Amino acid sequence: MNRFNNEQLASAFWLVIGVIVAISSFRLHLGSLASPDTGFMPFLSGLAMCLFALIGLIHGTLERRRGVRWTPVIIGAQVRWGKSLAVLVGLLAYVFLLTSLGFVLCTLLLMGFLLRAISPQRWSLVVWGSVLITTGAYVIFDLWLKSQLPKGPWGF
Amino acid sequence: MDLFQSVMTGFQVAFQPQNLLFCFLGVVIGTLVGVLPGLGPAAAITLLLPATFHVTPVSAIIMLSGIYYGAMYGGSTTSILVNTPGEAASVVTCLDGYQMARQGRAGAALGMSAFGSFIAGTIGVVGLMLVAPPLAEIALKFGPPEYFSLMILGLTVLTFLASGSMWNALLMAAFGLFLGCIGVDPLMGVTRFTFDIVELSDGIGLVPVVMGLFGISEVLLNVEQSMERSVFSAAVKNILPTLQDWALSLWPIVRGTILGFFLGVLPGGGAAIASFVSYAVEKRVSKHPERFGHGAIAGVAGPESANNAATAGAFIPLLTLGIPANAVMAILLGALMIHGMQPGPTLISEHPDLFWGAITSMYIGNVMLLVLNLPMIGLWIKILKVPYPILFPLILLFCMIGAYSLNNNIVEVFLMVLFGVIGYLFKKFKYEGAPLVLALVLGPIMETSLRRSLVISYGDPMIFLTRPISAVLLGISLILLVLPLLPWVRKKKAIIPIEEEE
Repeated sequence: MNRFNNEQLASAFWLVIGVIVAISSFRLHLGSLASPDTGFMPFLSGLAMCLFALIGLIHGTLERRRGVRWTPVIIGAQVRWGKSLAVLVGLLAYVFLLTSLGFVLCTLLLMGFLLRAISPQRWSLVVWGSVLITTGAYVIFDLWLKSQLPKGPWGF
Repeated sequence: MDLFQSVMTGFQVAFQPQNLLFCFLGVVIGTLVGVLPGLGPAAAITLLLPATFHVTPVSAIIMLSGIYYGAMYGGSTTSILVNTPGEAASVVTCLDGYQMARQGRAGAALGMSAFGSFIAGTIGVVGLMLVAPPLAEIALKFGPPEYFSLMILGLTVLTFLASGSMWNALLMAAFGLFLGCIGVDPLMGVTRFTFDIVELSDGIGLVPVVMGLFGISEVLLNVEQSMERSVFSAAVKNILPTLQDWALSLWPIVRGTILGFFLGVLPGGGAAIASFVSYAVEKRVSKHPERFGHGAIAGVAGPESANNAATAGAFIPLLTLGIPANAVMAILLGALMIHGMQPGPTLISEHPDLFWGAITSMYIGNVMLLVLNLPMIGLWIKILKVPYPILFPLILLFCMIGAYSLNNNIVEVFLMVLFGVIGYLFKKFKYEGAPLVLALVLGPIMETSLRRSLVISYGDPMIFLTRPISAVLLGISLILLVLPLLPWVRKKKAIIPIEEEE
């Protein structure tokens, strides 16, 4: 990792994405200047991504030669990235379970998890907090604002 | 209809009891979301959009606009008292506002911030009232080449003012343009990059992107750091600024108002950039630049005025050209369209009650904010004292409900979480989300304008240079692209990020 710095790696990533976008757009048909087709605009944006990523890559390489090294930003950095990961897992579980379990149960579980697992609160606060937040959100958004939140097999 | 008559019509609309109520609700909710870190005006407007489906379009726009400019007032409170900006436009207020609070001058900082916001907001509305009608007439002459060049200018302005390197900002804009191409091709009706996901055929929604990039990612970053915040606990007194405070703040307010208004008008300008530029200008023109960052009241008055003037300015391209200047305006554009309005040059003549009613309600909203906010500072402080470990689940829940309730679509919630992760990585690798969002908003209009221009010119790209308005707009864009190459401009641009990190 120390062979490259953050800007070099990030720019290389964007260069690859730009190339993929440009090639995929090319397959959609570019048309001509007088009659641009479906792939015309995404092709231009892919080319632009490649150009700016290349500038970043060159700049990053020059910086690397000046001694700017890789700085740990996620793993290995002085951050508690495990908490971010836990929140993310909770959110993804919520997304996948929301339509099958319904808003009320899913929200109750998510709130309980976030209140207890990320920065542990007292159990009484976790239980009452989750119930109050869920009930409040259901009353405001579903009953009052008619947001049509997903309902589980039990009708809420 | 002359200006006076139009304004009177507007006041008649704005003073209707229902509209007064919606204006009040808007500014209070706006202040609240401004106070709460991690929940911005875009998220709040999205959350409350379904609630406006049952009211008149005028009431809906009055409330949603109120949320936007109300958030600018509220954002300063957290900056000053907690050193945590409630939303992006108040980041710079932390620098001197929090220092003033630590020196026992929280009241003066909050008071000047409220007065500056009020003055700038009101002057901004006057500017909006005077500039929008003639601009709408000019806009009638705009064809696809002019629209395309205007959007190029918008993206260039945003990348020019970006705090990091310009090529990274341009890279984000290019990526945003690509994201804007996902879905059905507006001219050919062919789907692109949808990977057979039906929900993507309408394109990637702005709401999940904005909430993910700015809401979810902020929470992901905050939870991995210390979640303890020290709220300024001593009683906040002496909210009315002294004569000396006024003397020190008057010109910063005037400069911030003018600067903010014009930066707000430009697509890509916006409140956050206006506040940063205002701070940089105040520091440069000050006789005592060394006081900035140590509690200079001009460092609060200027940026707070600029961000409020910018909110008024941002309505101009939306209401006259149908072009949203930023993400919040894009959501308002969507709201207008849901209510059967088509923002653009004909909006003023076809729906004068909506245009003038919304504008005049901003006067009333600004007065409400001033009258309400000064006595309500105690309440906002109490809300700020809610610990972050209890606050962040609420912010996440609001984002989830907001993303879902717009189209009752779980794919949009997933997209929001995905963009939350992308936004988290962007912040780690120092990429900015704002150019991406603006490009995503402008992308479809830009593509249509570009392709139509080429079709009408039989493939001659010189059409962009032979039409005077388009040529001028592209010329300014080129200057902005070349300017950062000049050493003295590069030096000036470096001011902003350094101050941001302090």
